[in-house]
Amino acid sequence: MYTSENIKRRNPVGSSAGRDQGPQQQQDDHYNNSQNQNRASVDPYGPNPLKPAFQHQQHQQHQHAGTAYGYRDYYGFGYAPSRREYSANKYIRFYQENDYILIPTLLTLVSFWTRFRDIKSSDYVVWDEAHFGKFGSYYIKGDFYFDVHPPLGKMLVGLSGALAGYDGSFAFDSGAKYPDINYGFMRIFNAFFGAIMVPLAYWTAQELRMSQAACIFAAVLVLFDNAYLTISRFILLDSMLLSATCFVFFCLTRFRNERHDPFSLDWWLWLAMTGVAIGLVSSIKWVGLFVTALVGLNTIEELWDLFGDLSLPKTTYIKHWVARAACLIALPFSVYVASFALHFAILQNSGPGDAQMSSLFQAGLNFNDFRNNPLYVAYGSKVSIKNTGYGGGLLHSHVQTFPEGSGQQQVTCYHHKDNNNNWFIKHAKSEGVPEDTGSPQILRHGNLIRLGHEQTNRSLHSHRVKAPVTSAQYEVSGYGDDSTVDANDEWVIEIVEENSHHPKDGQLRSLSTTFRLRHRILGCLLTAENINLPQWGFRQIEVTCDTRNRTNSPHSLWNIEQHWNDKLPAGEGTLYKSKFWKDFWHLNVAMMTSNNALIPDPDKEDVLASNPSQWPLLAVGLRMCGWGDDAVKFYLLGNPIAWWGGTLSLGVFAFTVCYYIVRRQRKFQDVTPMEWDQFLAAGKLLVGGWFLHYIPFCIMGRVTYLHHYFPALYFSLLLFSFVIDHFVNRPGVSSKVRNVVWAVAFAAVTFTFFFFWDVSYGIRGPAAETMKSRQWRGAWNIIDDHKPNTFI
Amino acid sequence: ATGSESTLRQRSTVPKHTPPTDSNTAATEDAPKKVIKSVFTSAEKTNSLIALAGLTALAIVSRFYKINEPDEVVFDEVHFGKFASYYLRGSYFFDVHPPLAKMMLAAMGYFIGYDGHFLFDNIGDKYNDNNVPYIGLRALPAFLGAMTVPLVYMTMREAGFPILTCALAAFFVIFDNMLVTQTRLILLDSMLVFFMMCSIYSYVRFYKTRNNPFSLKWWSWMIATGISIALTTSVKMVGLFTVATIGVAVIWDLWELLDIRRRLTMQQFMNHFYARAIGLILIPVVVYLFWFYVHFAILINSGPGDDFMSTEFQETLKGNTMADGIYVKYGDNITIRHKDTSVYLHSHAHNYPLRYDDGRISSAGQQVTGYSHEDPNNLWQIYSDNVENTKIGNQVKDKDVIRLLHVATSSWLLAHDVASPTMTTNEEITTYSTNEDGSRFNETTFQIILESGGDKLRTMASNFKLLHQSTKVAIWTHSQKLPDWGFEQQEVNGNKNLVQKSNLWLSDNIEGKNASEIDQESSKAVKTRSFILKFLELQGKMISHNAGLTDSHPYQSSPIEWPFLVRGISFWTENETRKQIYLIGNPLGMWIAVASLAVIIGVSGADLLSRRRGFYPLNQDVQKRFYYATGFFFIGWIFHYIPFFLMGRALFLHHYMPALVFSYMVLAAVHGFIFIEGVDGPISDPGPETRPRQLQRAIVPVIAYATGIILMAIHLGSFLFFAPLSYGTSAPSVAGLARRKFLPQWDYHFAK
Repeated sequence: MYTSENIKRRNPVGSSAGRDQGPQQQQDDHYNNSQNQNRASVDPYGPNPLKPAFQHQQHQQHQHAGTAYGYRDYYGFGYAPSRREYSANKYIRFYQENDYILIPTLLTLVSFWTRFRDIKSSDYVVWDEAHFGKFGSYYIKGDFYFDVHPPLGKMLVGLSGALAGYDGSFAFDSGAKYPDINYGFMRIFNAFFGAIMVPLAYWTAQELRMSQAACIFAAVLVLFDNAYLTISRFILLDSMLLSATCFVFFCLTRFRNERHDPFSLDWWLWLAMTGVAIGLVSSIKWVGLFVTALVGLNTIEELWDLFGDLSLPKTTYIKHWVARAACLIALPFSVYVASFALHFAILQNSGPGDAQMSSLFQAGLNFNDFRNNPLYVAYGSKVSIKNTGYGGGLLHSHVQTFPEGSGQQQVTCYHHKDNNNNWFIKHAKSEGVPEDTGSPQILRHGNLIRLGHEQTNRSLHSHRVKAPVTSAQYEVSGYGDDSTVDANDEWVIEIVEENSHHPKDGQLRSLSTTFRLRHRILGCLLTAENINLPQWGFRQIEVTCDTRNRTNSPHSLWNIEQHWNDKLPAGEGTLYKSKFWKDFWHLNVAMMTSNNALIPDPDKEDVLASNPSQWPLLAVGLRMCGWGDDAVKFYLLGNPIAWWGGTLSLGVFAFTVCYYIVRRQRKFQDVTPMEWDQFLAAGKLLVGGWFLHYIPFCIMGRVTYLHHYFPALYFSLLLFSFVIDHFVNRPGVSSKVRNVVWAVAFAAVTFTFFFFWDVSYGIRGPAAETMKSRQWRGAWNIIDDHKPNTFI
Repeated sequence: ATGSESTLRQRSTVPKHTPPTDSNTAATEDAPKKVIKSVFTSAEKTNSLIALAGLTALAIVSRFYKINEPDEVVFDEVHFGKFASYYLRGSYFFDVHPPLAKMMLAAMGYFIGYDGHFLFDNIGDKYNDNNVPYIGLRALPAFLGAMTVPLVYMTMREAGFPILTCALAAFFVIFDNMLVTQTRLILLDSMLVFFMMCSIYSYVRFYKTRNNPFSLKWWSWMIATGISIALTTSVKMVGLFTVATIGVAVIWDLWELLDIRRRLTMQQFMNHFYARAIGLILIPVVVYLFWFYVHFAILINSGPGDDFMSTEFQETLKGNTMADGIYVKYGDNITIRHKDTSVYLHSHAHNYPLRYDDGRISSAGQQVTGYSHEDPNNLWQIYSDNVENTKIGNQVKDKDVIRLLHVATSSWLLAHDVASPTMTTNEEITTYSTNEDGSRFNETTFQIILESGGDKLRTMASNFKLLHQSTKVAIWTHSQKLPDWGFEQQEVNGNKNLVQKSNLWLSDNIEGKNASEIDQESSKAVKTRSFILKFLELQGKMISHNAGLTDSHPYQSSPIEWPFLVRGISFWTENETRKQIYLIGNPLGMWIAVASLAVIIGVSGADLLSRRRGFYPLNQDVQKRFYYATGFFFIGWIFHYIPFFLMGRALFLHHYMPALVFSYMVLAAVHGFIFIEGVDGPISDPGPETRPRQLQRAIVPVIAYATGIILMAIHLGSFLFFAPLSYGTSAPSVAGLARRKFLPQWDYHFAK
């Protein structure tokens, strides 16, 4: 039925005349032996374009007219710098000889100008400066605080404050006017990080083998994006995060381009730099883990390629593994840990974040009064009780009741210190001991107690009622009072561990002894597993009575934290010392727990929050401050042309890849194997980067804001330039068309940037009057109070 | 490269420059020149038929054994039995699943003379007491559940596996406790799995005719596949996973056809493409729509599902209340009824107690409650917020700001920032007398927001929210009763969550409007609506409601638990006899199946790595069978299992059933891969272009039979051990239950 006569013979390379048969031969071999092909021979990455590349010049006879600029060499096997025609004019020649340094320098200078100019235009605390300025202050004062983000970025904010001579005394209340502190310097310090994204984009584009025009366009997209500009000009972590992300990606592409020369000095240098960079970015925000994932996937691909290289000695292959494990796992981890070590070293004083940490850690902070607690705990003591699980809180109760189950008073775990965390240790009713027996009786292993809540007088109670969230376990509630006691109010103390130099004598000491509380009748263990209650429980942590008798779970272990008892002598003030690794892990789990608790509250409408689906087409902007007519108003909004172009290029790229793949299956060669590999390799990194920074936000349940899209945007902007570059450099596209396309692209982006100038540099006067023409999309709330996503 | 003298599971490396090529086009030098019709001898065919018959008989016995017990409503028979009754009555109901399986049940009921009088209201309701021919109803799913077994056998057989392997797969499907329990009750999953296996079987048959494209046989099996996937999806939307499984195979097949080495012209390729578009997209869509057409054609009367649909839809149902709707005008006295709990917005001359039991203080204002009976105190007169222009006589429109005057006590409805009697988070609703000054005017204005039924307020037709203007709360009520001081009426309060569905109210009556006026204002005729609009509306509602089934259920489970059978579902209990039906798979069988899935991943991973190093550990034909047949079933498992991880709704163990069938097929195939040497082949129908290939036979050693029988024995033993819980026919003792508790999470009843 199907004979060879039916098949039209095709020239697999196209019809371009005057080309030798080398590439075609290469292609046929590649196609037929695709399973055994030694991938190293089609390495899409040539040597560093900035280096002399004499060894690759033998293919320059295939020079195509379209490659007169840039480093593109379509028909060679490597990527050698083009042989350039230099002008006779000595100034032009000087430029031509030095453009690789002149262009990025010029871009950087313009970037500095856009980022730094008029930076003090608003003298009040804008948006999240309220958080990060405050956190910076804590570093200056040395007070321990807690935040969901790792410390590096905030330490840098602290550093900028210290350099500016700020003493940490300002509270950074949202919208407050800055007192006499050099906030301009602090902002410039931040803006510097935002500014260096521009040259990084240029160099990265160069490493991705884009043409010079495309490299400049990529940098200009970053330079003239209003959102990057706006977010860089305030005391926030985003500029640091973004520049670190850009730096990781730059190092990664740079390292990839060294793959032809493994274990060379440059190879090691850029591998190590990648490792350090992912350490830095992850120490600023955990979002950095997304770019780390990109590096990881790239590494897996590289190792897979190398695995198929049968000529590679096994020891060399193992060396590849070891080198990557050392530089991409051990090194970043060390950087991350070091940032925490510095964090603990700077924050020596007791502060607002104490309660997130273990009691022992808190006792080690200066100005903490725990160590003056009476050491031994007795009946009649007033105590607060801390869960020893990572991120565990203090046993808490408040007048609100459970809306379901027993309907009795709520008992939760709570991370902040307040009087509702205080409990009195009382004799259990069934022991029949009167409350006041003169000399205090020290608690020991096996003692039976009742815990009375100081504020409401209710007793800690459990019964055969399903817990509200963990329905397999029993509810713990506050019930009765001193006169109405119930057999279900009684708990047995089981001492587990003694973390100090004191002997294990079964006595209960504050801070250092961990113990379990076992319900006398039900036999279950008082447990708090970092599960948040719904809104009715104020998202505090659920406390249950766990019947599974998991005696080793840290979530069912407790220790006494605060302890008051007038009848007992004050503590010895011994130096409580906690272990660094324990603290490090504890803090990280606490960060994770708090981060997961940042879920949208259906009862509250948050006009600032937005949905990931709104980002790629810039359906939302974000008001960064009050919108009064007198205020200088900042509106976080991207350059629409850049954003839309970036998103469009994702679709165009996907379509182009599918088109080429289908055509290749029919053996049409639209692009040479070399171009194809290079196109795929660069595209994979860019699209992969975008995906890894965007999709997780669609999946995770937490509240999302527009600026969460910014790292993903960077990849789409580079892809935008990359896709244009690919199409204007197809054979058959005249240089005239190419120049027009670039001119239009540059003009559109630049024009839009200047059109939205006020959005970034501050809208002065009533927004409704001046910004009317900027309202390009209905849901932007530049001029009036739209409330998208609500039913009103 | 694969001469008959070489060991079939070749462990040596294939020479580096001859990687495996497509075996259909590979020429084998010493192959016989005549085309072989079938690789199997007639004796084998007879044996296979005997095995098939025996297994089918076992399947029927296992499904029909004591099908009359229990003669009570079990688990979701509550829903699906009820829906069958509604079909027989023709009253409109709403369900998240497409209609086919329920219509099949109804048809079964129709044939056995059941009239749909019983509504299957509670688990444990007696069938015999209510004259329900439930055995007939159960017979349909039980029969289809049994017929799944021969389909599994034949699918495996068509995929080229030896009788032993096919029998092993079928045996595991027969004696799985979950498949037994779930398919012998009035539930949908039996039909789902049956049609799913029809799809897979048809597709395998279709793929085997690929050497004779566009032949009658080719078209028949393709269209059979298309119709089967449509039927699967018409039972439950989960059928889309089957569509995806087939879809992936089809796309892969097309991709191979596109390969230039297959020597198809572009025109020929497009013919392949269009044929599949017709057979596997167009025809299934038509079939799927057809069942909805029948659905609407049967359900012509108003019924319990009305409220789920739009006003326009409800107007197409006989006896709907929409037609009675009258436009409400300012000045009318209306009653306002809560949509979810059907109570009237009510007030009376009694006040909230100043101090509640828990010590909180109220405004001590007049009570506003939800009352379920008709009463003059339910009447509210509707006013505009505009005092000068009262708009009396004008129709009330969407987004109008109104005030409501309680007629009997002459006081204005009001909300304010005082905690409600039972919920501290919600606002108290009260009234204040018209005798007082107007200082609280702003607290008495509400915006009326129509959620359905046009842009003017109409009785019966319009669902609306009443949004308090100054504090942005919606008037809301819930089933919580007030204490004695509130006469046990429902609490009404101001809900801060404005988007909640239970904020909806409707006005069901205008006082003083007599029948003649109604007739003037609207006609009672049943309207018609185009099928496609009705379908789109229903499909949209099904999807949104399915996604909205997020309320937690005591027996729900997470998908990660299913393959390991972490927990079952209590289907039915009887206290006197201590009998129970507890849905749980065959634990040993399922755990073996999970292990075989792990083997697949391990073997394919190892194969991938070795091939990357130029080392070909598997014989080419074995490898091909491993990826094309076993791999296809494995993909089936993946596609019927992994998507559940992305679903937000409450999930249950029985959602794993389709995947479980695939996992048993994988289990049998893996057993064959380990113990059986080589494969039978070729198995596809030869075409005119097919080059003759050498006949290959699998060698089934004794060890394969031995291990196969051991596996079956383990499976059967485990099945019988748990059978009392699956059939609910006898009550194990407390000790017996404890013995059956392999995992602590298996929460049987009567275990203490």
